[in-house]
Amino acid sequence: MVAVAGSALTPFGRRKDHSSFRDWAAEAFFGALTMADLDQSDIDTLIVASESDFFSLQLNPASIIADDLGLTGTMAFRVEGGGASGQLAVHTAVARLKSGLSRHVAVIGVDASASTLPANQVKDLYSFSFDAWTDGMNGASATMLYALSFQDFMARAGVGVEDLEIVTIKNRRNACDNPGAHLPRRHDPTEIAASPMIAAPYRRLHCSPLSDGAAAVILSRVDALPGSRRTAPRITGIGAASDRTNLGARPKPGDFAAKRLAMHRACAMAGIGPTQIDAAEIYDAYAGSELQSIAALGLSEDLRGELHDGAFAKSGRLPVNLSGGLMGQGAPAGATGVGQMATCAMLLEGRYHPGLQPARPLAHALADTHGGICTTSALTILSQPEAAWT
Amino acid sequence: MDLNLRLDYVLGEGWLAPYITGLRDGCAIAARCTACDAVSFPPARVCACGGRQSAWVTLDGTAQVIFRSTGMDGDFALVQFAGASTGSIARLQGMAAHETMGRIAPALTTRPGLVVIREGADFAP
Repeated sequence: MVAVAGSALTPFGRRKDHSSFRDWAAEAFFGALTMADLDQSDIDTLIVASESDFFSLQLNPASIIADDLGLTGTMAFRVEGGGASGQLAVHTAVARLKSGLSRHVAVIGVDASASTLPANQVKDLYSFSFDAWTDGMNGASATMLYALSFQDFMARAGVGVEDLEIVTIKNRRNACDNPGAHLPRRHDPTEIAASPMIAAPYRRLHCSPLSDGAAAVILSRVDALPGSRRTAPRITGIGAASDRTNLGARPKPGDFAAKRLAMHRACAMAGIGPTQIDAAEIYDAYAGSELQSIAALGLSEDLRGELHDGAFAKSGRLPVNLSGGLMGQGAPAGATGVGQMATCAMLLEGRYHPGLQPARPLAHALADTHGGICTTSALTILSQPEAAWT
Repeated sequence: MDLNLRLDYVLGEGWLAPYITGLRDGCAIAARCTACDAVSFPPARVCACGGRQSAWVTLDGTAQVIFRSTGMDGDFALVQFAGASTGSIARLQGMAAHETMGRIAPALTTRPGLVVIREGADFAP
């Protein structure tokens, strides 16, 4: 069994303080290490999640981060899978811990998506994160491809453009209680409707921002946990799957089929069903992709009805993206999935931001990411040991 | 620290060369699976049936718009080419919002992208 011994995030946003990704990685790592009640000499493996060398201009970032953090001698490497990089790094750590190859693994997600390059250049780079030889040559942006996928979803799932504002308002409002969030906002529908159209039906306020930041988790074998952390949240299920890159090659271009498969695998490992999830951090690159994800993950049997009833709001049956998600908290790609892990772990332990921590104890939380238009899905189920609440 | 970096790539077209040459010429070159006859466009190296052998075929080049999106980067659509078993993402050029039938046109730039124009229109953009 693997536990989340420690976790920490830097603020996500557009950093203008001349700091670098190396500073953010260090801040997150030492924060997580402190919570884990461990020393850097206890860490035997470092896994770095980072989406692109283009952002940092640092190839082999794990080597320089290991050097910076006093982790010389550890096994240090990078894991990359687009927006799913952070979760895939966690899965790699879990495999090493469960196999006995590692005892304490530091997973650091970091990307400088906002401050190092002009936004139009980042957009151009992202257009090559799908099939660079086909869609990339068309000049189709990420927003355009997500928009076409969501149009298919709307046609099949009974949701409409008007439902996007509910997700947008919810996530940005949650971000208002997250002091590390990039876009804490109290939107009204008029403001959303007046924002520029990026790719119909997505307007600017339906989109997640480009962000800088880092997040870290210390994952440990349960039998290696320090006494102070014996009730740390457990990783009970992991699942990953892939889909066709070309939307047109999928039977239903709006269906995140890889996510359904990944969730099935994670639930089978955890021994629970989707309806037992108490809180979820979901990959809302766009407002519509949150809805597509909730549907594919099997988290609701009445998506539109529950959305309008507030089931996914802060005080609802299943709070989704209490952190604000990518839309509110921000989206430094490599840090996103690791940040979700940190958020879920803190929620389960009851130590999340006071304005966002649910009053009731949570047993299971879901951290969900994907790369491409859900071409690569990777998600994790975390569970709180019963002892923590007794 | 300010740093300007210019990168000039030469990307190998590899197995996709016939498809990419077709885009430059305004022809829809697809892959027909020899096992199940499914036609993929863009071509798939391995068919959904698992077949790994395929033959190049030229589609008639007409396409139907399935979903369309307009935005800051122009007009794009998920289209279905006649004779293809899979859909494609194409840039639409000069197609009004109500028009749903088009045909392939030569790529507009040095980047060999898939472009669809209104059926009956001249190739010239």
